[in-house]
Amino acid sequence: MPSWDEFQPFIVTGLALGGVYALSGVGLVVLYRATGVLNLAFGAVGAMGALIAWELINNAGWDDYPAYLMCILFGGVVTLAYGLLFGPPLANRDPLVKATASLGLALILLGTMSWIWSDKARSMVLPTSNENFMVSDVLVNYTQVIGFAFGVVVTFATAAFLRYTGLGTAMRALANDREITATLGVPVRRVEAAAWLGSGLLAGVAGLLLSNLVGLDATTLTFLVISSLAAALIARLQSLVVTLVAGIVVGLVNALITPILSISEYRDMTPFVLAIVALLWLSRHREISISRSA
Amino acid sequence: MSDKLLSGRLRHIFMLAALGAGFALFLVACGGDDDDSGGSNANVEVKETVAASDCGPKAGEKATGTPIKLGALATKQPGTDFSEIPRMTEAYFKCVNDNGGINGHPVDYVIETEQTDPGQAASQARKLIESEKVLGIAGSSSIIEADVNHKYYEQQGYYVIAAGIAPSAYGTSNISSVNMGPRYSSDGATQALIRKKVKKIVLVQSNVPGTEYIQEGPELITKAAGLPFEGLKENVPIQDANSVALKAVQAAGDDGGVVLNFTPPEALKILQAAQQQGLQDRVKWGCSTPCNTDFLAKALGDAWDGKLFVNAELNLITADAPDSNLYREVRKKYAPDIPLGSFSQMGFIMGRIATEALQGVKGEYTKDSVNKAFLDVKDFKTDILCGPWYYGKAPLHLPNNIDRTVTPQGGTMVENEDCFPISDVDPAIKQVREIEAKDPSLIGK
Repeated sequence: MPSWDEFQPFIVTGLALGGVYALSGVGLVVLYRATGVLNLAFGAVGAMGALIAWELINNAGWDDYPAYLMCILFGGVVTLAYGLLFGPPLANRDPLVKATASLGLALILLGTMSWIWSDKARSMVLPTSNENFMVSDVLVNYTQVIGFAFGVVVTFATAAFLRYTGLGTAMRALANDREITATLGVPVRRVEAAAWLGSGLLAGVAGLLLSNLVGLDATTLTFLVISSLAAALIARLQSLVVTLVAGIVVGLVNALITPILSISEYRDMTPFVLAIVALLWLSRHREISISRSA
Repeated sequence: MSDKLLSGRLRHIFMLAALGAGFALFLVACGGDDDDSGGSNANVEVKETVAASDCGPKAGEKATGTPIKLGALATKQPGTDFSEIPRMTEAYFKCVNDNGGINGHPVDYVIETEQTDPGQAASQARKLIESEKVLGIAGSSSIIEADVNHKYYEQQGYYVIAAGIAPSAYGTSNISSVNMGPRYSSDGATQALIRKKVKKIVLVQSNVPGTEYIQEGPELITKAAGLPFEGLKENVPIQDANSVALKAVQAAGDDGGVVLNFTPPEALKILQAAQQQGLQDRVKWGCSTPCNTDFLAKALGDAWDGKLFVNAELNLITADAPDSNLYREVRKKYAPDIPLGSFSQMGFIMGRIATEALQGVKGEYTKDSVNKAFLDVKDFKTDILCGPWYYGKAPLHLPNNIDRTVTPQGGTMVENEDCFPISDVDPAIKQVREIEAKDPSLIGK
């Protein structure tokens, strides 16, 4: 078993990744609550935004910051476009159908990325990754700080937005009952569009941060939605604060298992093990009733 | 009868969780192995005077004789495309055909591809031999075909010239590769770090089948040097590179050495994570051949200049020497879309070897005469390899067993160590050295 000193740096990496998982989880939950769609293309959208930023910086001669902005905007625009195009026809379908449809977008984006950028090694280092400071004996860079802080800030800002603004109230109303909300005169399409746009912008931010914290690789970044999905599922796609805590726990547990060599290679299971345990725990008091009719 | 197990919401959540799990599995299946030795499109100036016409005996004269039909099989699937290797061999044959051919005969070259499906790889080999009726196989580079097809080739009397990947590409009597593959390349990287006085070696590689076989070599070499060894395996694609880099450095300890055996994108993730955590000076870093690409050197930036030691099975793409210059000229004229890099270097060498072997055939070109010519190749010298390449009758073939070490410098790879023999502590290398000692003519002695 590693010593406490050896565990310390893993706490930093776990918190940073956990923060971004939480950020992504919040994006997933807000969209689910407003539209009933679990967006499995969240990671792919962020990945493509990050690769576009890399392309603009390295081959189009753009400055870093406009390219980063383009990454975030790409996330917003693509997600919004998908929501506007496919949201209305799928509005009354089962959540499973809606989620599966978003898988289609993920696959299209993944295929497009493989086609355009092949599988060569690429990197995009944010300026904040080169700035660092020491905590005890652990070197912490500012991208890690931003990853964690952004997750926390976005969670509470989104919670406040949903509670105190008209648009947020409309989103919560939509989550409760779409039909009644519509009959009350709430512009459903516009509210849903705002949720799609906001979730997409978060996908762009997450893609940008994860391309630094993990690596600029289409498959990896697309795949990372799984950890965020686990955080969202632990929160039963409802609570933003639970999503935040779950995201951070997933990141931390994953990182802290890493130096324990006997179980290290199984750590990729962490998100799903935690999600399954949480869901079983949450359903522990549910009664099973079986009725038989003649 | 109606069963009511869970309330609607929780059931939806479970269904979505299941869908998510399915999505994860799908992505793992898609993501898998994106092996790549990479390359660079950098413009490399040819310093020595050389023309593409140097690849044939009669400059500018097209070969008009009966074609000699040769073939190759390569893996080509999303994320894993080795077809540029035989395409470069094809480019060399085109050059030969435009400049007199092989004793006046042009080469008719057929490339088949497979998608790591054993059944498909087997059927493509049969197509080449039974339908296309190729007389010889040179230029193949497939992940699975050496394992799947080497017995069939043996039964059919074919001696294959390949760029190997699977262990069978090095451990059989009828396949001889121009490269040395991940195990012996990891051996070379391990040796380089031991020479730099590290106190322990940690080998980190993908958690995929076959990695135990690769680990054996570096482990034996490290222990023979009296140093501790530890092997780590990581699931790919790596999702927490910072943690992986930390784990490797902690395992190696102060003044230790970490050898990476990954594809370039995965190796880059770990190296970059190490840099961001200030770990690049905590240990000495080594890497097997896939890291030998200017693409990776450029992505790493100046922070890694002279701090990463990569085993190089082939010469630098910028080398100023006859074959290296001819390689760049042929690529420029006949296959400009193929990047400069180790893949195209391998394809070029295989074309050169096959051409030189076939030039020595007296009489008709048949399956038997072509394969005998391949089998008889010995002491083939090229500046792209450190030592002479050979075939010969032997239970295993590892003619590429002398390597270099390169290191990033200003966005490109430069030589760090000149050619050195891979350690014969690795049993297969020992066996090969015994074969070379028994028949010194194989290596021109």
